Amino acid sequence: MSKITRSFMFVLLALAFVLAACGGNSATPETIVQTQIVEKEVTAQPAMTEEPLPAGSVQINGAGATFPLPIYTEWTYAYSYVDPAVVINYQGIGSGGGKKAIIDGTVDFAGSDSLLKAEEYDAGKDLQMYPMVASAVVVIYNVAYENVPDGTTPAKLVLDRQTLVDIFNGKVNNWTDPAIVELNPDLKDFLPNATITVVHRSDGSGTTEIFTKSLTAFSSDWTAGGASSVEWPVDQAGNGVGGKGNQGVSAAVINTPNSLGYVEISFAKSNGLAFADLINKSGNKVTASAESIASDMATFGPEAFDDKLTATIVDGDGAGDYPIVGYTYLILHTESMTDCVKAGKLLEYVQWTLTDASAAKRAGDLGYAVLPGAVRDAVLAKLGEVTCNGEPVMK
Amino acid sequence: MTKYIHPLPQTHWLSRLRRAISHGDLPWKWIIIAASVLVMVLILAVGEMLWRESADARSTFGFGFLTPTLTPDWDPVNDEFQAWPFIYGTLLTSLTAIVLALPISVGIAIFMAELCPPWLRMPLNWLVELLAAIPSVVYGLWGIFVFLPTVVTPVAEGLFETFGTVPGLSVLFTGPVPVSGASRLAAAFILTIMIIPTITAVTRDVLLAIPTSQREAALALGATQWETIWQVLLPYGLSGILGAIILGLGRALGETMAVTMVIGNSIEGSASLLRPGYTMASIIANEFAEAVTKLHTQSLIEIGLVLFVLTLILNMVARFLVWSVARKTPQEARA
Repeated sequence: MSKITRSFMFVLLALAFVLAACGGNSATPETIVQTQIVEKEVTAQPAMTEEPLPAGSVQINGAGATFPLPIYTEWTYAYSYVDPAVVINYQGIGSGGGKKAIIDGTVDFAGSDSLLKAEEYDAGKDLQMYPMVASAVVVIYNVAYENVPDGTTPAKLVLDRQTLVDIFNGKVNNWTDPAIVELNPDLKDFLPNATITVVHRSDGSGTTEIFTKSLTAFSSDWTAGGASSVEWPVDQAGNGVGGKGNQGVSAAVINTPNSLGYVEISFAKSNGLAFADLINKSGNKVTASAESIASDMATFGPEAFDDKLTATIVDGDGAGDYPIVGYTYLILHTESMTDCVKAGKLLEYVQWTLTDASAAKRAGDLGYAVLPGAVRDAVLAKLGEVTCNGEPVMK
Repeated sequence: MTKYIHPLPQTHWLSRLRRAISHGDLPWKWIIIAASVLVMVLILAVGEMLWRESADARSTFGFGFLTPTLTPDWDPVNDEFQAWPFIYGTLLTSLTAIVLALPISVGIAIFMAELCPPWLRMPLNWLVELLAAIPSVVYGLWGIFVFLPTVVTPVAEGLFETFGTVPGLSVLFTGPVPVSGASRLAAAFILTIMIIPTITAVTRDVLLAIPTSQREAALALGATQWETIWQVLLPYGLSGILGAIILGLGRALGETMAVTMVIGNSIEGSASLLRPGYTMASIIANEFAEAVTKLHTQSLIEIGLVLFVLTLILNMVARFLVWSVARKTPQEARA
């Protein structure tokens, strides 16, 4: 066979493979997914169509924090069946990037876990923050218990606020430290005489911001401050390690005997990780859950908000409050939007996420806590103040 | 009466242009020049952007940003930044990786080029290339779950027990070894594995390109196979092997994902290979997306600038090495 014929046949063969691959993909799996969605949604939204992009559709762009990315994606997806004329695109580029984008006007809304600073309000002129959902951060641990009798499981670890600060300061660095033993009388005989490896997030993150703000509130011993990335005292002490992302932290904790770290509650729950109970400000033992997060939000209520609708809600003093909780925010321009159709659609969407029962259920399923009634009403009232070309956007 | 068409004089610009273009030499030359100018423009543009965007950080911290220190400051809350732990981490892990990878890679290359039975050559070749094709995040995950507990931790314990108290060396081998194994040593090991295929492939090609006459001459003079390889082939291909090291070093300096996953990402003062550390690429990957204050962003960009300049310097040093080696071997001898 000549060289040319051979190479020609090779090209044909390659082409055939490519065609086969394309054909195979487009046929079955997508159709199946499509029908499943239709079945699920029909009951909730009878008016929905299968064609989400009719002429005259509105494209709304958002960008920012990755902390609420799962729920924003879920909402966006569901909303394309509520109002098929709206296409929402949210990119998880980080809070810093989101804030910069909304100030520069390259996006219609931004997501952020950290609060805008005074100079950022100046630069963006008419920016306003709106809390969307809250989430909690939990302390996961992996203790190699010793001498545990067969057939029994050791009790759940309990920590109080001061001990947590001491651990992250590197001051309490052994599992047999009196502070830990005293809080866990049931585990007294099992706790190993071993160094606590403390795992923290290495990447800047809203999770870290909520967690370090809580530590700041818990005790004046915590001097590193509260921010999306901080200088960890436990690193200086020599028993701290950073993991990238929730996955990195949990992988490090799972693989390191006698370690402890913090992750977002939804991540811990969906991966079945054991997390510690905390003694809250009022002295009660609480487990992180939708109820204890909601209790904390209710303790602070709408009164906690400043005029920019921002609030730090860590360390609530209610009886059932879980102490490590934070809001994630949406940022909008309140006066300078000029495309009133788009502004109207955007606010309709935000309103839907806050008020619709199915939107709330989606948030709950992912481990986020929706705003309690009073807080939500305050947010909705603030949304009503948004104007476009001088006219109120919401009727 | 037929009209006689005068051809354009040879000196006319149109005929000169036609002559120049008709062979394709001139257009081809300009396309090539444009391509190489593009590379230079890109490098300059990147450098200029890094320089401009880090202006505030440079003026705020000055050279204090780069000075070696055992009590480094990296405090995004209070806007205090120093780059030394990252510079040190990058240099230590990359150089350790090169030192470890070089003998292994050259060994593999010699085996593949000189000693390997023909039936094994192809599969071995495939395997080396496969090693190069594995995405770095896979190396990272494999590192966390398999490599760290089974290899790195025992090796690190051994090193600590052996060298931890030796005067002079103990700086590099102070403990305690982290239980998780996440350390600069782990990063260096992962980097070693990642650059072995690069160095091996180039070195093998260099060895294969050496004319058979060289081997025949050495053997005819009574040299053994070992002497042929060690005294003839390796010196002959030295500049090519140095080139391979440059490629490997480039990959090691810039590798981000796998290193971030295994190095422990901890900013502590210790200089030890056995302790967790941080590299320049990982701090940028970790903190850039959520850097909120201006100074924080700018400090990260300045670290990018340092990495950029460091890569350029190391490359230039390596080029100089290649040049000085090539100068010692006269061209006639290499033909």
